[in-house]
Amino acid sequence: MRRVVRVAAYVPAGASNWAAVAASDEDSFTLAATAVERVWSGRRAEPGPILVHALGDFPEVVEWGFAALLGRETVVTRSPGTASQLAKALEELEGGEGGPAIVVAVDLAETSASRTSSKSGIAGDAAVAFLLEPTESAAPLLFGKHAAGRSAVAATVRRARSEAAGGSRIMFVGDWDRGAGVGSAREAKPAGRDRSDNLGTVSEGAYIPRARYLENLPSRWRFLAEVCEACHRTTFPSRRVCRNCGRADSLTPVELPYNGGRVVAVTTVSAGGQPTEFDAQVAGSGPYDVALVELARGMRVTLQVTDIAPGTLAVGDHVDTLLRRLYPMEGEWRYGRKAVPVSTAGSRGPAKTPA
Amino acid sequence: MDGAFASVDRGADRRDVSEAFLATLGFGGHQIGNAAAALAEEAGLVGVPVTRVENACASGGFALRSALAAVSAGASPLVLVTGVEKMTDVTNARRRYWLGVSGDTEWERSAGLTFAGVYGLVASRYFAEHGDASEALAEVASKNHENGALNPNAHFHRRVTRAEVLAAPRVARPLGLFDCCPVSDGAAALLLSPPELAHRFTDTPVYVDAAGAGTDFLAVQERPELTRFRASHRAAHEAFRSAGWNRSDVSFLEVHDCFTIAELLALEDLGFAAPGEAPRMTLSGATRRDGRLPVNPDGGLKAKGHPIGATGVSQVYEIFLQLRGQAGLRQVAGADHALAHNVGGAGATAAVSLFSVG
Repeated sequence: MRRVVRVAAYVPAGASNWAAVAASDEDSFTLAATAVERVWSGRRAEPGPILVHALGDFPEVVEWGFAALLGRETVVTRSPGTASQLAKALEELEGGEGGPAIVVAVDLAETSASRTSSKSGIAGDAAVAFLLEPTESAAPLLFGKHAAGRSAVAATVRRARSEAAGGSRIMFVGDWDRGAGVGSAREAKPAGRDRSDNLGTVSEGAYIPRARYLENLPSRWRFLAEVCEACHRTTFPSRRVCRNCGRADSLTPVELPYNGGRVVAVTTVSAGGQPTEFDAQVAGSGPYDVALVELARGMRVTLQVTDIAPGTLAVGDHVDTLLRRLYPMEGEWRYGRKAVPVSTAGSRGPAKTPA
Repeated sequence: MDGAFASVDRGADRRDVSEAFLATLGFGGHQIGNAAAALAEEAGLVGVPVTRVENACASGGFALRSALAAVSAGASPLVLVTGVEKMTDVTNARRRYWLGVSGDTEWERSAGLTFAGVYGLVASRYFAEHGDASEALAEVASKNHENGALNPNAHFHRRVTRAEVLAAPRVARPLGLFDCCPVSDGAAALLLSPPELAHRFTDTPVYVDAAGAGTDFLAVQERPELTRFRASHRAAHEAFRSAGWNRSDVSFLEVHDCFTIAELLALEDLGFAAPGEAPRMTLSGATRRDGRLPVNPDGGLKAKGHPIGATGVSQVYEIFLQLRGQAGLRQVAGADHALAHNVGGAGATAAVSLFSVG
């Protein structure tokens, strides 16, 4: 039977005003995606579908986005984002048979404040993801500590703890390293910001058609590259042909780590210097930084920078990357990775495993 | 067009034109497809084969290269090369849209970059590798405005000081407003003939000695370095090898200074300055009109303007005037060998041509 073997939480960086402003590129899907990729980090389980149960209010992308994020076939089920639903989902999956499963909950409705933000289409405050894998030995789940200062995660844990009955494992959940008092991103959000899901802004011509956007998600979301067995060079983004020798029959896919990048160059795009797709963003939050980031194998990627005041990042700085909203196109948000300074990448660190 | 025919000392007739090349991006979208036929209509060349060349900002340089091949292949007494762009008759949003279409769409544009941003990254990297070059960038702008003030065809005739350049608002750090070329309307035209026929038209023809070109990855993220445009380097290498020239043969340069940092890169990519030495060379005054290697005596893209398809052709127009001693107040003394350098995007395409007189 399955048991919860890992838990990861993602709480958006809310420590500074600027981080709160930039957090407008978050929504419930980006929160869930970050928690999911953290709980899955390093796992390369046997092939086969992963069951993903998502709790909360999500945009349509949730139906297929986890498959693109994990590079695996996924079966997505959903339920309302309440702690009791979460406990129910965990209970059912823990008893069940089959391959790995992930339960991810965002913006739990036990707190009235997060319910409000959910209805307005604004990002919730936190996401928590549970990885369940088939195991013979582990005892049923029992929750332990809760996340300090984060009502959404805390509510999850409180509820789950009250429903647990004397199990033998303690599970640590959430953002305890950061401690209390880091403030709420919601409270820090300035008034008057354009936070609507304005999907009417559509560029023309030099845009990425939806089919191409979907085709390139493995490179955009998972940094999929290709190593050529003939010339040993790496091609990124993936283009199914070696950029060095031109061969197409000698490529082995490899995913570059999405964290641990280094800034090679950085610029601050001021109002008027942005492509039209970014007009609403500039009108809402002003200038932004774009960095050329060096990943593993010397591969480089151009990323917008978020969660830090523009003009702060410097050449040589280390960055992580997170999935965020990029811009609206053809009636939906396009998502991709953005660079964040290592020190503000939310509740970082390796996912905790049970004691 | 009329100007091109009028400039032929012994006259030329449209009926002598056997082939034409049109360099244009199609900014604004007016006639995106089949613009060649529109040129034939406008130029009184209906019936003549016209090929439209689109390599973004390097369209003109590549059109010249294609025309040279057509002339070399024979059978054409006169080949027309023209470049045009009309950029000011669209709304601000459309203008910014069109300014972004020639960069890498998939990664650079979707990260929020237009060319100012990409060149901002290039400048950022240049500063990281070679130290802060803000003063040299300001000198590029100031010098080119100084030259443009003497060019009746320039967009800007106002001089700017280095201090003004440095104090201007930033557009894409570290580049500011005066580090960027303007959005301009413009057109230019050239007539090419085989050398053995040239004296039918004039006693002082300007010879196209070589036309090199190159490409690179569209997105800078796929290139091993940002501070060197390999397409420019390759184009220059091909041109100099083909013509059998040394760098020291060249009297002056017309280089693609769409942003001030691009002029510094050009000096290094074309082999006139060692890596990292272009700022010192620029600040020494060597690239001024009276320096040892004048650069952009017509004001460059910075002051003359950058009507995309016209730019590469207009560089050759300046060279034509200079090499024939007809550049008036901005004449480079003793100019007899010149180089034109035309870049598309942030170094994704580049064309380098060499010219001489006498």
